[in-house]
Amino acid sequence: MSSARSGKSLTKYKIVFLGEQGVGKTSLITRFMYDTFDDHYQATIGIDFLSKTMYLDDKTIRLQLWDTAGQERFRSLIPSYIRDSRVAIVVYDITKRKSFEFIDKWIEDVKNERGEENVILCIVGNKSDLSDERQVSTEEGETKAKVLGAKIFMETSTKAGYNVKNLFKRIAKSLPEFQESPNTGVKDDSNENNAGVIDITTNEEEQQASSCQC
Amino acid sequence: MMDVERSRHSMHPGSSGSGLRHSPRETAVLIATAGNGYPKKSPSMPNFHEKPFTSTNASEPILNSNGLPVSSEYVADNSGVQSLTDGDASLSVIEMYGDEVESRRPENEDGGNLEGDEDADSDELELPTSGMPPTGSAMPNSDYFDRYGFKKQSNLITEQDYDEWWENYSQYCIRRKHKWKILMEKSGLPMDNDSPNRFPSRSEKLKRYVRKGIPAEWRGNAWWYFARGQEKLNKNKGIYDKLLLKMDDLLKSKTKSMPDLDIIERDLNRTFPDNIHFQKETFQIDDPPMIKSLRRVLVAFSLYNPKIGYCQSMNFLAGLLLLFMDEERAFWMLVIITSRYLPGVHNINLEGVNVDQGVLMLCIKEYLPEIWQYIMPQTSSKHFSLNNGTSLLGGNDFLYKLPPITLCTASWFMSCFVGVLPIEGTLRIWDCLFYEESHFLFKISLAIFKLCEPELIKLKPLRNGIGKNPIRGQRGSQMSNGESEMEVFQIVQTFPKQLINPNELFDRVIFKRRFSLNKLDQDEVDRCRKYVSSQRLKYKHYSEIMGTGHRNNNNNSNNNSNDIGIASSSSNSADGEKMAGDIINDALSSEVYGFKKGLGGVHWNNSIKAKVKQMRKKKG
Repeated sequence: MSSARSGKSLTKYKIVFLGEQGVGKTSLITRFMYDTFDDHYQATIGIDFLSKTMYLDDKTIRLQLWDTAGQERFRSLIPSYIRDSRVAIVVYDITKRKSFEFIDKWIEDVKNERGEENVILCIVGNKSDLSDERQVSTEEGETKAKVLGAKIFMETSTKAGYNVKNLFKRIAKSLPEFQESPNTGVKDDSNENNAGVIDITTNEEEQQASSCQC
Repeated sequence: MMDVERSRHSMHPGSSGSGLRHSPRETAVLIATAGNGYPKKSPSMPNFHEKPFTSTNASEPILNSNGLPVSSEYVADNSGVQSLTDGDASLSVIEMYGDEVESRRPENEDGGNLEGDEDADSDELELPTSGMPPTGSAMPNSDYFDRYGFKKQSNLITEQDYDEWWENYSQYCIRRKHKWKILMEKSGLPMDNDSPNRFPSRSEKLKRYVRKGIPAEWRGNAWWYFARGQEKLNKNKGIYDKLLLKMDDLLKSKTKSMPDLDIIERDLNRTFPDNIHFQKETFQIDDPPMIKSLRRVLVAFSLYNPKIGYCQSMNFLAGLLLLFMDEERAFWMLVIITSRYLPGVHNINLEGVNVDQGVLMLCIKEYLPEIWQYIMPQTSSKHFSLNNGTSLLGGNDFLYKLPPITLCTASWFMSCFVGVLPIEGTLRIWDCLFYEESHFLFKISLAIFKLCEPELIKLKPLRNGIGKNPIRGQRGSQMSNGESEMEVFQIVQTFPKQLINPNELFDRVIFKRRFSLNKLDQDEVDRCRKYVSSQRLKYKHYSEIMGTGHRNNNNNSNNNSNDIGIASSSSNSADGEKMAGDIINDALSSEVYGFKKGLGGVHWNNSIKAKVKQMRKKKG
């Protein structure tokens, strides 16, 4: 849908950020976009939209980042816009168990809207710098990610700048592969299977374009 | 937490009952000027003198904490009534002249050329080096923060941009204030040591004055006055204090009956983190007074109105109010905003948001058709689509499945433009909101869309270009729709944030008579809200009757999304449901909202019920 476009411009991927309020969604995006950090970010009301071009290997893609309000009542506003996102990043705060328990609800929302196969689910435990206050262990996070069928699990610290770039790198790397096998039930493993007609077209265009430039 | 609450009581000034902490000097001011029946309060929160860097002007710390190019006249305001009138006298000739010029020109009543009457008196004021803080009261932070304590710089505006703009705008503010003073004098209203409590009676002239901006120092009182806050408070005397006691009790007993408390707590430090009054200094252990006030107002509100409780965005409403008035007033203003101006918007199901967004979409379609084409939902264009069996056409289906842009504009309403525009613009909108009521929020939204037009036009080639491509065909045009949807979103989201000069918005749209959107009035918005909410309700009922039930089962963990999701779901589902969807849409689309001077009134189609019942029988 919106992730693909004619050859001349970049392939775009919609990424939605979900999770309870105050877990660090905006902070994660800001770290990724500008490599900065503030102790407090203004609460996000509704949705904020940012886009960033990312270079990876010999490819360039455009990520459209959708930052959402975390309060539960806002969930009712969000689902229709999750519908066509490629990636859903569900964030929790490792120092707040409740925010960890809450991710089930967000994942449910995503699966309801998008179906399990059509979206790359990521679970991110943020604030890993606050190890003294940790309430959720890394193992617990990993286990939950497996149970919920998340393709990527990571702990990050937006404050320390830890793992944020890695997170986006991993997401980006999983994108084209994922596109090429939209109906083969990819879950934990990254399959490099057959072709979705549409997406291959754009990929080829993309590749041709980049090889020309080289 | 407990300490905080206890300290709240210790700062009770006794008689005022507002939880305000007054400096001795302020108390003196209060005594001196109380006498008009109102508990006299400083227009701005008096807490800030505690801040090490706002030590000089205790009575009006925010507005003097700098930025205003403090003229000799302005300084005189603070030093006493005597010199205040002196200051006025020296300017009154210019003022009188300017005002007469304004009133002699009837074409200016509803707008006209503002620049003209601004220019009339712009050069005559004797102002010391504008944009510079007064030499005596050096504020270490005044370079970085504006007169309300907000950081000048934002993602989209540099400090230099700000300073350059402020040099002019501050002059404008001073000119406007002089005009207000003249108006007040003419109306025989006292200025009460630059903190008037009463304002002139409603008139076209006053409306224009309000639209051009209420003097910043008067805002708290003026908002309170125009929103009829005192009326509300008089009916509810003592309620706020009772709520605070209840809050204390709840905190002491540590019951878990306050689910909002934790949520509020998490947003306190995320309310204006860029404003010095909301920031905790590294050496401070305790929360700054402003954060404490914010906590009390929000918790008290959640106890007062459990139907709303706490909704994100209310922190910004309360926070901004607290910069201009004391806690108790801020509390009641929050009550007024969430009930009178934005009914249902902050409720748990956020249905009021959806209704208002539906109204906004209808308004754009009606008043700005040139903009509507950019945000019109894709379903409407699928009218021509081959693969789409359902007739979710042109009608009003966008009222149920709101276009994506509404996720951006929803926050405009929820927070009354706090954080949407730079602060001076937001304040100008608030001036009008309290004077003209909620329709102004729609009007200003339309104005923003109108100003976005040049940016939006740039998108046109893209859409047309791909649409014309015969090879790509249908799919191509759909993609381009999705694509431009994003770009429209980006433009509409970003544009207002960089709109540093509020007068651009007001002069170029609001004061212009040739824009039809200025026909929009409160009556229209009230009627339109009723229409949209009943349409949405009917849609929901029809959908239930027609048994889109099995999908709801899939989704019942997710019950809130149904309202919005149904319209789209019917396009993916079985034939029977398609038919149901058709009927519902046909039925609802036939009830068209008629704007005034539009195609007549609202037509309620009672035959739908019969139709639906028939369908149901067949299905059964």
